[in-house]
Amino acid sequence: MSTRRRRSAFDIVNEYFRDLEKWIERFREELIEKPRWNNRACTIEPLRDIIVTPTEVIVTVDLPYAEENTIRVKPMDKETIDILARMKRKIRFDDFGITHYKGEFETLQCQTRIPVRVSIDKMKVRFEKGILEIRIPRRRERGTPIE
Amino acid sequence: MSEEVRIIEKKEIPPDAVMLFGFPDVGLVGVIAASHLISELDLAEVAYVDSRLLPPLIVLHKGLPHSSIRIFGNHGVLLAVSETAISADTIYPIMHALIDWGRGKDVELMVSMSGIPVQDRQNIKKLEVFAAASNPVTLETVRDKGVKVLSEGYMVGPQAIVMQHCANIEVPAVTLLAQCFFKYPDPEAAAELLKELTNLSGIKVDVSELLEKGEEIRLRASDMMRRTQQEMSKMKKTQEYDIPIYVS
Repeated sequence: MSTRRRRSAFDIVNEYFRDLEKWIERFREELIEKPRWNNRACTIEPLRDIIVTPTEVIVTVDLPYAEENTIRVKPMDKETIDILARMKRKIRFDDFGITHYKGEFETLQCQTRIPVRVSIDKMKVRFEKGILEIRIPRRRERGTPIE
Repeated sequence: MSEEVRIIEKKEIPPDAVMLFGFPDVGLVGVIAASHLISELDLAEVAYVDSRLLPPLIVLHKGLPHSSIRIFGNHGVLLAVSETAISADTIYPIMHALIDWGRGKDVELMVSMSGIPVQDRQNIKKLEVFAAASNPVTLETVRDKGVKVLSEGYMVGPQAIVMQHCANIEVPAVTLLAQCFFKYPDPEAAAELLKELTNLSGIKVDVSELLEKGEEIRLRASDMMRRTQQEMSKMKKTQEYDIPIYVS
């Protein structure tokens, strides 16, 4: 006769976190396992980062070769921004010694989802040392007062 | 040497060299510095790593296959460099094998080149370079050369293994860390690090071309940076921002 041990709450929580880690890993791989170079649109997806502070969200984007006066940051909706910049010169694969792909790129472009509620119309943008910095104030959420 | 990791020598290795390490980490500072050293000092490939712990990956240069982790050398310098992010699961045996190999070649000093991330890096005008050493004598030498010492904090990644293993096997080692971006390739930080390397070891290298080609390097290195971010996250790299509890 087989004996089945009842799973403890600990086991269930552990399993939940293991599954969650696997899911995050798969999600991350899906995000990363695609080329940053889009031949059809002639665009390169730049590296970016998001920092959430208690008062604002800071998005930074690395824009090598970006022509400063062509940088455009456009809200797509309440939580997504589109970033686009023309490059000072066209970049071809063979600039990097790559001969098995063909294509040239003249634009850096990406879309970023903001993970918390923000006042997107109040964003401030600056460009320093090739890094685009977008600061967006967070919307004030009402906290629960201590009774 | 670990049986899982073999180092295949292609040329005779002279003794008493300074062995440098440039591995993917924050800002790719070590890799960018290594790449510049190879071209500036005209370093040739002298050995490479062969291991089933590495992913099934080769790097093609001029149509020929190369290991992703190679050792270059010339003029009393050995330089271990990786052209791909090394996974957190395999970094220990790989680093140990390289350090043990260097010790077998009577390397006189090991120098790990990397970065230390700073917030709002884009607003910093003059980047600072810090150092840590594997023993008190080497640390004193670092101080005498005027290099700022990273006295308290956490170190995560290949340089942490260099420090720990070199301390264990009593090989003098220094880690140089230039202030840099966490997630973006940082050629300017690599240039500052190389200036401090010249000060510390006497290895002379002109960084003007590195600075001129900054934008090209940032674009070229962005795929490697993206993959390195993934491995840094697995290594809990952000722990370097933490304040350690004092245990003497």
